[in-house]
Amino acid sequence: MSVSVDSGGGKSGKKSVNADLNLVPYIDLLTCMVSFLLITAVWSQLARLEAHQKGQGQAGEDTPPEKQLKLVVVVNDEGFNVVADQDQQPIPKKGTEYDYEKLGTELKKLKDAHPDKGDVQVASEDQIKFDVLVRTMDTALTARFPDISLIDAGGAGI
Amino acid sequence: MPIKPAHPHLYHSVTLEVAKAKLSHAGRKSLDAPLNLVAYIDMMTMLVIFLLMSFSATGEILFVQKNIVLPNAQNWAELERAPVIGVSKDVVTLDGSQVATADDLMKDSNTGDFKITELHDKLVTLKNNYKLLHPGEDFNGIAIIQSDKGVEFKVLKKIMYSAAVAGYQNVNFAVVPKTKAAGGPAE
Repeated sequence: MSVSVDSGGGKSGKKSVNADLNLVPYIDLLTCMVSFLLITAVWSQLARLEAHQKGQGQAGEDTPPEKQLKLVVVVNDEGFNVVADQDQQPIPKKGTEYDYEKLGTELKKLKDAHPDKGDVQVASEDQIKFDVLVRTMDTALTARFPDISLIDAGGAGI
Repeated sequence: MPIKPAHPHLYHSVTLEVAKAKLSHAGRKSLDAPLNLVAYIDMMTMLVIFLLMSFSATGEILFVQKNIVLPNAQNWAELERAPVIGVSKDVVTLDGSQVATADDLMKDSNTGDFKITELHDKLVTLKNNYKLLHPGEDFNGIAIIQSDKGVEFKVLKKIMYSAAVAGYQNVNFAVVPKTKAAGGPAE
C-alpha cells in the first residue's frame, strides 16, 4: 500500500528519483484515532445552571452581616414583580408569554445602580413551570447577577 | 545444487523467443493493481478532525432520560460529578432508581413537611459514602436536578427541600446549552 511520487526524471540514463511513500503506519494511526474518538464521543451536550437554596427550611439560612439591598424577582401567574427593598416594579405578561426582555432591562438598571450587588432571589409560586424559572434565572445571569437563589414565594417575606 | 520442483522449461538449445516469453509470463499484463488511497485518507482525516472537535475530556456525566425535555439556557457551566435527581412528569428518580411518583408530590401535605423520605435517605447515604471515600476533602453539597421543562415548582421545591435537609444545598439544574454571542461557559 503505497503512493509513489514521480518527479518525471529517470529517462535519460540517470537514476530514477521516484519514491514510494509507505502509508500503512499513517492509515493505522488514523484508524486507531477514529476508533478511540468514536468510542469516547459524547453526543448529548448538557450543562448546568447554578442555584442556591435560601429560605427553604433550616438549610442555607444565613443572615447578612449588614443591611444590604434585598432584590427579589417574584414569578407568578400575572408575570414578574421585581422587588428592590420597598420598591416594586410589576412586569405583566405579554399576552400569554412572560416579558423576559423587560425583566432583563429592569435588572440591568438595578445592576447599574448597585454594581456591587451580585445576588438575587427568584421567588416562585407553586404552579410556575420549570422552563419559566430557568429562563428567569438565565435572564438574571445575563444581567450580571451570578448568585441566584431559588425560593418559594410564600417564604420570600414580601 | 538445490533440488527444484519440476516446471515447464526450454532447453538452451531452443531459440524460440516467443515461447520463452510465454513461459516466463513476460508477455502478460501484471496482476498488481494500484489502489488510489487519496480519497480514503482524506475521509479519515476529516473524520478525525470532526471527532477531535467534538471531543469532551469530562466524558458523559449526564444521560438524557426519556420523558424529560430539558430547558435551554445561555449562561451555563460545565457539569460536575454529582448525584442526579431526574424529575419527569410521572416519576422522580435518583441516579436512575425511582424514589417517588409525581402524583405523590402533587398532593398537599397535611403536616406541612415537604421531605421526600426515600430521596432524603438515599442522598444521606450518598453523602456518607462520599465522606468515607474522600476523608480529606470538604463535601461540596452539589446535586444535579434534571427536570422536565413542564414540571411545576410545587414538585421541585419538595425535591430541593429534601436535598437541602440531606446536606445538598447547592442545587444545579441540568440545561441544554444555548449558544450566545460571546460563546463559552459562564464563569
